[in-house]
Amino acid sequence: MSADLDLEQRYRRVLRLLPRYYRAQWEEDMVATFLDGWLTGDPDEDSVTMEYDRPTRDEVLSVAGLAARLYLGGVGAPGRYFAWGQAVRNAVLGVMLAHAVWGLGQLVIFARSRNLIGWLPPPAGGFWVQLEYATGYAWIVVFIALLLADYRTARALAALVVAADVVSLAHLQLNGFLTAPMAPFVNWSHLILFDLGPVLAMAAFHRDAPPPRRRPWLLALAGWFLLLSVPAMVTEASGHGAWVPDDAGICCLLVSLLCLAHAVRVWSGRAGSGAGVWSLSLVLFAAVAGLYRITSLALYAYDGHMLRVSVVELLILVAAAVLVAPDAVRSQSALPAPSVSRQPG
Amino acid sequence: MTGQAFFVLTALADGPRHGYGIVSEVADLSQGRVKLKIGSLYGVLDRLSSDGLIEPDREEAHDGRLRRYYRLTADGRGALAEEADLRSATARVVRARLGLTGPETAGAAG
Repeated sequence: MSADLDLEQRYRRVLRLLPRYYRAQWEEDMVATFLDGWLTGDPDEDSVTMEYDRPTRDEVLSVAGLAARLYLGGVGAPGRYFAWGQAVRNAVLGVMLAHAVWGLGQLVIFARSRNLIGWLPPPAGGFWVQLEYATGYAWIVVFIALLLADYRTARALAALVVAADVVSLAHLQLNGFLTAPMAPFVNWSHLILFDLGPVLAMAAFHRDAPPPRRRPWLLALAGWFLLLSVPAMVTEASGHGAWVPDDAGICCLLVSLLCLAHAVRVWSGRAGSGAGVWSLSLVLFAAVAGLYRITSLALYAYDGHMLRVSVVELLILVAAAVLVAPDAVRSQSALPAPSVSRQPG
Repeated sequence: MTGQAFFVLTALADGPRHGYGIVSEVADLSQGRVKLKIGSLYGVLDRLSSDGLIEPDREEAHDGRLRRYYRLTADGRGALAEEADLRSATARVVRARLGLTGPETAGAAG
C-alpha cells in the first residue's frame, strides 16, 4: 500500500522546515497527529486521501511559523538559535532605526514647509509627497512600537507602510517621474530589501523573544539624528552638499565605526558575555549596509566621482566587517549544538 | 498565558490526551472558534513542556503509529486554575460594566 505513504511523505517534507533537533523530538508525534486529522478508518476513503490529498496551506504556514520561531530563537531556545534570533532582531531594529532617523529628517522638512524653520528649501506639495512624508513618520512609530515590545502594532503598521510605498512607487514609475537612469531598479530593490525584508524578518519578534533594550536604541536614534543628520542638513543648506555622504554612504561609515569599536572591545577582552551576538549582529548590519551601497551604485553609473567614493565606502565597510566576522564565527562554534535526543514517552 | 495555551491546558484537565485528541477537545471547548493547526499545537506543547506545565504520559500504538499522550503536571494544574480565576474575574468586571445580569460565563476568550 505504497499510496499510504504519500500524504505522510508530503507532510514529512513540510516538516523538514523545522530544525533537526526539534524534528528528532517531535516529528513522529506531529505526523501521527496530522494523519489522525485526515484518516477516517474507512480503508477505501483513506487510500484515496493518502494518495491525492496534500497538507493544506494553513498547515504549511503553521509549520513555517513554528520554524521561524525556532530558528530565530527566543528565551529558552538552544544557544545557537538564540544568537541568530538576537542578531536578526538587532538587524531589524538597525534598519528601523535608519528609517526612523530619515523620518525625523522629513519632520524637519515638514516643519520648514510650515515656515517653522527658515534655513531649508521648502518641499514641493501634493498628495504623493504627503504620502511619502506620512510613511516616513510611520517608520518612527514602528521603531518605537518594537522598542515597547508591541510587536503586533509594529508589524501591522509596517505592512501598511510597505503597501503605501508600493502604491507610491508604482505611481511614480507609471507617470514617468523616475527619470534618472536605473532609478526604477534602485527604488524597487530598496523597497524589497529595506522595507519588505525587515517587515518579514519581524517574525523574529515572537512571544519568546526578549524585549529590546530601549535606552541604547533611543540614544542611537537621538545620536544619529543630532550628530549626523542635522549637521548634514545644515551643510547641504549652506551649499556644501557635495561634502555630505549619501544615505548609503552614511550607513556604511556608521556600521564600519561600530565594527571597529566592537572589534577593539573584543580584542582587549572588555566585551561582555553577549559579544558574540553583537559580532553576529554587526556582520548582519554590514551585509545590509553593503547591499544598500551596492544597489545605490546604479544611481551613479554616469558620475565617476560618486562611483569612486561609493566603492571606497564599500571597501571600508568590508574591511571593518572582516574585523568582527571571526568573532561571530568563533562564538557560534563555541555554543553547544542542540541535543537531538528523542523526548521520552 | 495565550488563549491557545489556556485551551490546551483545559483540554488536558480531565485526563491525558494525544495530539489529535487535544485538537478535537480544543475545538469542542471553544465551540469551533479555535482550530489548532499542527504547527501551532506543537509550538504550544513545546512551550508548555519547557515550562513544566505538561509532561508526556504514555505512548500507544494506533494503526502502526505511536500516539503520545500528554498530561498536566501539578504546576500546570495550578497555572490553569490561576488563569481560570483571572479570566473569570475579568469576565465578571466586563459583565458588570455592561450592566448584564444572568448566569456568569467563563472568561475563556482567546
